Amino acid sequence: MHPALLWTALAFYGLGIALTLPSVIRRRPTLSPASLGALGFGLLAHGAGLAIKAVEIHRLPVADVRGALSVFSFLATTAFFLIYLRYKITSLGIFMLPLAFVLTLISAVNNGALPASPEFRGRWLIVHIGCILIGYVGFFITFIAALMYLFQERELKSKRPRAFYYRLPSLEICDELYLRSLIIGLPFLTLGIVMGFIGASREWKGPWELDPKILGALVTWLIYLILFSTRMSGSWRGRRSAYLAVLGFATMMVTFLGISFLSGQHGYFPKIGPTP
Amino acid sequence: MNLVLVGINHRTAPVEVREIMNIHETRQAAALSNLVGREGILEALILSTCNRVEVAICARDEVEADPILRSFLSEYHHYDVKAHERYLYWHRQEDVVRHLFRVASSLDSMILGEPQVLGQMKQAFATAKRVGALNGTLHEVVNQALAVARRVRRETAIGATAISVSYAAVELARKIFGNLEGKTIFVIGAGKMSELAAKHLMRSGASAILVSNRTYDRAVEMAAAFHGTAIHYEELFDYMNKADVVISSTGAPHFVVTREKAEQLLAARKNRPIFFVDIAVPRDIDPAVNELDNAYVYDIDDLDQVVDANKKQRQREAVWAEQIVNQELQKMQHRLASRDVVPTIVALEERLNCIRESETERFRGRLNNLSPEQRETVDALTRGILNKILHGPITELKSGAGQPEQGALVHLIRRIFGVGE
Repeated sequence: MHPALLWTALAFYGLGIALTLPSVIRRRPTLSPASLGALGFGLLAHGAGLAIKAVEIHRLPVADVRGALSVFSFLATTAFFLIYLRYKITSLGIFMLPLAFVLTLISAVNNGALPASPEFRGRWLIVHIGCILIGYVGFFITFIAALMYLFQERELKSKRPRAFYYRLPSLEICDELYLRSLIIGLPFLTLGIVMGFIGASREWKGPWELDPKILGALVTWLIYLILFSTRMSGSWRGRRSAYLAVLGFATMMVTFLGISFLSGQHGYFPKIGPTP
Repeated sequence: MNLVLVGINHRTAPVEVREIMNIHETRQAAALSNLVGREGILEALILSTCNRVEVAICARDEVEADPILRSFLSEYHHYDVKAHERYLYWHRQEDVVRHLFRVASSLDSMILGEPQVLGQMKQAFATAKRVGALNGTLHEVVNQALAVARRVRRETAIGATAISVSYAAVELARKIFGNLEGKTIFVIGAGKMSELAAKHLMRSGASAILVSNRTYDRAVEMAAAFHGTAIHYEELFDYMNKADVVISSTGAPHFVVTREKAEQLLAARKNRPIFFVDIAVPRDIDPAVNELDNAYVYDIDDLDQVVDANKKQRQREAVWAEQIVNQELQKMQHRLASRDVVPTIVALEERLNCIRESETERFRGRLNNLSPEQRETVDALTRGILNKILHGPITELKSGAGQPEQGALVHLIRRIFGVGE
């Protein structure tokens, strides 16, 4: 990925976040054109960087963790943009954008070229990672919506309106966002995991089923499946459902970042340190 | 510029005095004509509401406006204003501008951020314009006051929070349900207060209303008023699971909705949220219901608490609003000051152009054998020189507008270029 473009994107993202702050603090109904513009330019630079890289290597640059992080934050910021256009939730920016920024930053700092190991060549792998990334972005939004729900719910139950009461959207909007992102995320994660199984059974030798990352992904998938079915049936709704979404996201982060250190086949993380 | 404003408001005068000083809407046009008909008064504006009476005028620079305003008020009210002198406040020049900006933005109102005063100011502006009482500086100031008020509304949340109990109920319902469309209201115990809350909720988009009362006839009566459905009191719980917002104000001595009942309700609703507004004393809803997930219970004290928090929120927003007013005040001062330098700039341009034309005329004889193109070139050349010379002093005049040394600068430039005062 082109460092200059990535750093440009980062600078614009940073500016966008800084410009979002006053809108949220001052409880303006909309974000300023300046902050939307900055985020838009950031997305353009980021997208251009990813596109150039994709053309260079003839496939999506998701086969190393930096690329994956970069694509994830690109998708997450795009999702923020789309959600903002639909729902006009300014406070969402405060929750979503900083994490996307940090992930882009990690990806930018470790910008050394990585030799792709032979395992990363297969076309199935790109689809596998691509699907899982989209699923992750969906669940990231589910998590943020659940978080906003929990904050707003607490204010309403406490009967003492404070900062969140005035700035966060209604419970219903949080719930809607939460359910929609879940409905988008779950099929992609399912597809991604299935692709992974097919690919691994064909190309990997040994007991790959016990790979910690695969186990982590299965646990994540299971949590989201429970979340989805209990929410649809109405047996769990609101606070409990939101707590489960937070747990699901934590499991996902552990799988995405933490277990990569332990995983044999997925172990591209050890290379993320300072490149020699 | 000679702006003066005299007024009384809810802070400076009791209602008996405000009554006397009131200038009724229907008589404002005549009052304005009377005012601008007086010697030395160029423009006038009258704002008269139940909380304030303000008379603002723009007079000729050399005129002392206070006695004119005093005699106008005395004659108009057939009453010696001197007796009420201590209730009056007087503003002059920039203070008039600031005051009008703050009044229009509802920063001077009894209820901070209330929206009516902006409408009243618009009305006063329209009336004064209609009778031709606004045509210069004051026109610009009032027009800008309306713009500032709109900016304050747009950029702060000063008017965004509910400050009455019944509106607080609507605001809370919105925080839970977002859009109220498709939501059902259930009113138990038809009373003044519950009727008001129901009215606000229906106006905010709620779709259906159910009414139940111990005396069925009263329920039918209120249901008819809202195009709703009356429910027999005995069948209360058969219908309650349909309700998203329950407004309860029965005279029952014990809880009507207990925790167990609420649990059953939530199960029947598949845990869709339900909002209880309990305005009965003694209370109708067991406060323990609030501990259940997806059930929210607000009694009358809780609503008061929300109103208090909202009022504090408005005060916080007022700080931002005052900043906007200050910014706009500075801009306005600058604009008014540059209005003062405009005549000098025009005179300067006229003076130099006059020189250019007379000099060209003087050399006409010697320029006779020039071709039309060459003559045009000479014209452009002289005009170019003139503009270059003018550029410096005009820039100085414009940038010096509003500065304390501006008067001396205007005087100096006029002397240097021989422009009469």
